[in-house]
Amino acid sequence: MSTTHAANSTVTGNALELADVRKVYTLGDGSEIVALDDATLTLASDEIIALVGPSGSGKTTLCSIAGGILSATSGSIVVGGEDISGHNARQLTTFRQEKVGFVFQSVNLVPFLTARENLLVVDELGRRTGAPARERADQLLDELGLADRAKNLPAQLSGGQRQRVAIGRALMNDPALVLFDEPTSALDTKLGEQVMELIRQEMKTRGTAAIVVTHDERITHYCDRSVHIVDGALRD
Amino acid sequence: MKLALTELRRRPSRFATATVILTLIAILLMFLGGLLDGLINSSVGALRVQQADAIVYDSTAQASFVRSRIDPELRATVEAVPGVTEVGGLGLVQVGARVPGNGPRELAGVALFGYEIAPSGVPDPPPDGQAYADDVLKTDGVEVGMTIELGPARTPVEIIGFVSDTSYSGQGALWASPTTWRDTLAANRPGAQVADGVFQALVVQGDVDDLPAVIDAATDGRTESFTVQEAVDAIPGVEQQRSTFGQIIGVTVAIALVVIALFFALLTVERTALYGVLKALGARSSSIFAGLVLQAVVVTLIAAVVAGTLVVVLDRVIPAGSVPLDVSVSRIISSAALLLVAAVVGCSFSLRRVLRVDPASAIGSGT
Amino acid sequence: MFLALKEMARAKVRFALLVAAIALLVFLILFQQSLQNGLITGFIGAIRNQSAPVLVYSVDGQRTVQGSIITPELDAQVRAAPGVGEIGPIGQGTFTGQPVAGDGDTYDTSLFGYELGPEGEGLGHPTTLIEGRLPTADFEGVASDADVDLGYGVGDVITLLPGDLEITIVGVAEDVQLNVSPTIFTSYDTYIAAVQSRNPDAGTPLPNVLAVSPAEGTTPDQLVTSINDQSLELDALTREDAAADTPGVAQVQQSFNIIFLLYGLVVPCVTGLFFLIITFQKANSLTLLRAIGAPARRLVASLLIQVVIIVGLGLIVGTLLYLPLTGRNIGGLQLRFETGAVIFWSVLLMSLGVLSSLVAARRVLRIDPIEATTGAGVSVGR
Repeated sequence: MSTTHAANSTVTGNALELADVRKVYTLGDGSEIVALDDATLTLASDEIIALVGPSGSGKTTLCSIAGGILSATSGSIVVGGEDISGHNARQLTTFRQEKVGFVFQSVNLVPFLTARENLLVVDELGRRTGAPARERADQLLDELGLADRAKNLPAQLSGGQRQRVAIGRALMNDPALVLFDEPTSALDTKLGEQVMELIRQEMKTRGTAAIVVTHDERITHYCDRSVHIVDGALRD
Repeated sequence: MKLALTELRRRPSRFATATVILTLIAILLMFLGGLLDGLINSSVGALRVQQADAIVYDSTAQASFVRSRIDPELRATVEAVPGVTEVGGLGLVQVGARVPGNGPRELAGVALFGYEIAPSGVPDPPPDGQAYADDVLKTDGVEVGMTIELGPARTPVEIIGFVSDTSYSGQGALWASPTTWRDTLAANRPGAQVADGVFQALVVQGDVDDLPAVIDAATDGRTESFTVQEAVDAIPGVEQQRSTFGQIIGVTVAIALVVIALFFALLTVERTALYGVLKALGARSSSIFAGLVLQAVVVTLIAAVVAGTLVVVLDRVIPAGSVPLDVSVSRIISSAALLLVAAVVGCSFSLRRVLRVDPASAIGSGT
Repeated sequence: MFLALKEMARAKVRFALLVAAIALLVFLILFQQSLQNGLITGFIGAIRNQSAPVLVYSVDGQRTVQGSIITPELDAQVRAAPGVGEIGPIGQGTFTGQPVAGDGDTYDTSLFGYELGPEGEGLGHPTTLIEGRLPTADFEGVASDADVDLGYGVGDVITLLPGDLEITIVGVAEDVQLNVSPTIFTSYDTYIAAVQSRNPDAGTPLPNVLAVSPAEGTTPDQLVTSINDQSLELDALTREDAAADTPGVAQVQQSFNIIFLLYGLVVPCVTGLFFLIITFQKANSLTLLRAIGAPARRLVASLLIQVVIIVGLGLIVGTLLYLPLTGRNIGGLQLRFETGAVIFWSVLLMSLGVLSSLVAARRVLRIDPIEATTGAGVSVGR
């Protein structure tokens, strides 16, 4: 289903524009850690990129900043046409509700909610549209092959099924950008490939942009291009 | 908010122990309140039902029936006060009553009042030798139509009906004519007997503001007058009981507050990760905190309802007279209200931690 | 020990809240213990601390001194009972007393009149004198220590209104109140004079109660039976029974028993709940410790050390909160520091606290170190 991406209307139509983004942590003894070093990155509105780098390279920091979870020390961040560089905490919260989807590494479903309810969490937290949200949730579950699991709790789902619920949750608010943090690290090769297939399909059908953070070179071919990051600096 | 309720529904065991503790504390609050009410009601009932704008004692009596004495001349002065519409005498004698059917050493304690102006809920003074009895005396075997014998002189009094909530000094009241009272007093307490026309207190009705003060001024300070509420509060022990119990209840509410703060602090620590995820998804701290408060309120309400039920059962189970307990709906509700306030305030201890949860913590174990 | 303390230091707020809860509970329990003792002593101290081993009431008195009247017939019956040693009358009345040295304040004052005998040591004299001496003449009296601050101290004069009769306090005894009012032990004749000064209509009042001591070879219990056998109108009681059976005393005790039971239950519940929850919360780190070789015994010991420290702190703080209240006079009730109660409750609550934490201890013991390797995963919420 393709809804008009009203949230994405800009002159350029890019999903993400990072320009000279720096993230610097100052320690108690005055020394500094540069987690992100003048990162510049542009994502077209329906591009899927793999963000590849070793542990500690800054890929999570970059994702966090792009997703509005972390504020940058300096630089400009524009997501789906919205400049979030100077947003305060409350503005970032609203931004996350509306424009971004996350699929965390440790899945992080709410353990006492059914699959369907987990999808509806975002709507509950934000606009509370009610019936339209429920319809959308059912549709997504159907597309993800989870229609018969809608009433199950996470404990009753397999690892792969939980992953899919998380993807559904990320898509509920029709985001401009979805961030996948190591989606296949806990899965075996076959399952990992299935998940990546699904991700690519969902993103492309909707024309939604995505960043897939990974250090697993096996899955990068599911993405349009790869971007490498080492010690906070991006290299193509 | 709905999330918070769903968690309660799906994970009741997590909240169970805290609910049990809160129920215990709620029972305590309601029991203490009921005890206070019981003690006071059984002391002041008879006075509280008086239809009076002023209760008048003599000024040396310290608001004590036993020591007060109003002679006809003083009464006349009170009657002559402008604005006074009606004056009735009130006299009291406390004796042990022999009730047919009880053992020879099993006496029922009664407070016999001689009255002229009928108190609320009590009919006009009966003929001499007859009396209305407070229904607490039913537990002593008193019945309508029965003749009971008062005091060592065995003064006979026939019971012609029952009234409610008129206890005095822990004893059930008998309401009789002034003559009956005087006869009983003279026969059983010769040292305290009074001449005709003498009463211990006056019940005065009038349409003047601040009638008690007006009366005392008119009698030149020979009387000490009170409104009904003041007279009730002046009964020895009432003020002390109220303030002592009030303090104990207050500290107990503080304990409830600390327990709730403790429990929800522990709960919040456990849910830090969940809160991080919710915040990452776009939940505001305020709605997360509101959910927390909602859970505290629901848990407290459940505890209050269970406690209320148990206290009512406790009231039935406790043998009458062994513990002066008066369980009333208003006391149960006010105890619940206090607990709810404690719950909301106790939650606020967790507010800082909720605010401090960083949505970035939701993202991965690797950097 | 190291582990135990480290953990507490890391989570100060939580542990502090627990100590606060326990401290408040301990404080309330001790306070109410003092209240109960003060109340009971305030009611019947005079009866418990006077010299007559047996008191004889009239049945109509319903075991209250003020309600009882001994007529000449009853008096004769008592005298005729076998086993009677000495007999003395006791007169009791409540009057409006005004300490002369005070601000004109008046107080309900109970007079307890007895036949003075030599040196004021007649039957019914107060047995707990702590200051001054017993009355040896009319219009002298012994007051209770709880009322000294009201103006009933040695050397003070009390005027009884409305008759303006004056009594001089010559001694103070410990815990000799009746009905939680200032009480003065005085001569029987003083009592009669007081009654007549207040109510000129009265003749000579009859005694309320007879104080009786058993003859050689008779026990107080035997004397009680002997006197009661004389007539159904008589109600003889030993001194202890007279105190315990006074109406209201049993009620006070029962009410407080229920209160103590409830408060006592809350302490182990809160302690047990707390330690169970934090044990669950640190299940992962506990598993890790077991995996690297910490013996289960040591982990349990660490838990118990925390319980003892927390409950101990709660007991200390609670007792410290209670301390300033003791020695205070609340509405005529003298609150004392009840050392016995402090010891009793400290032992009881500590034992209950340790017992309640055994649930958490069991959980610790059930940890299987192998779980550290499977990495069950940090799932959200537990």
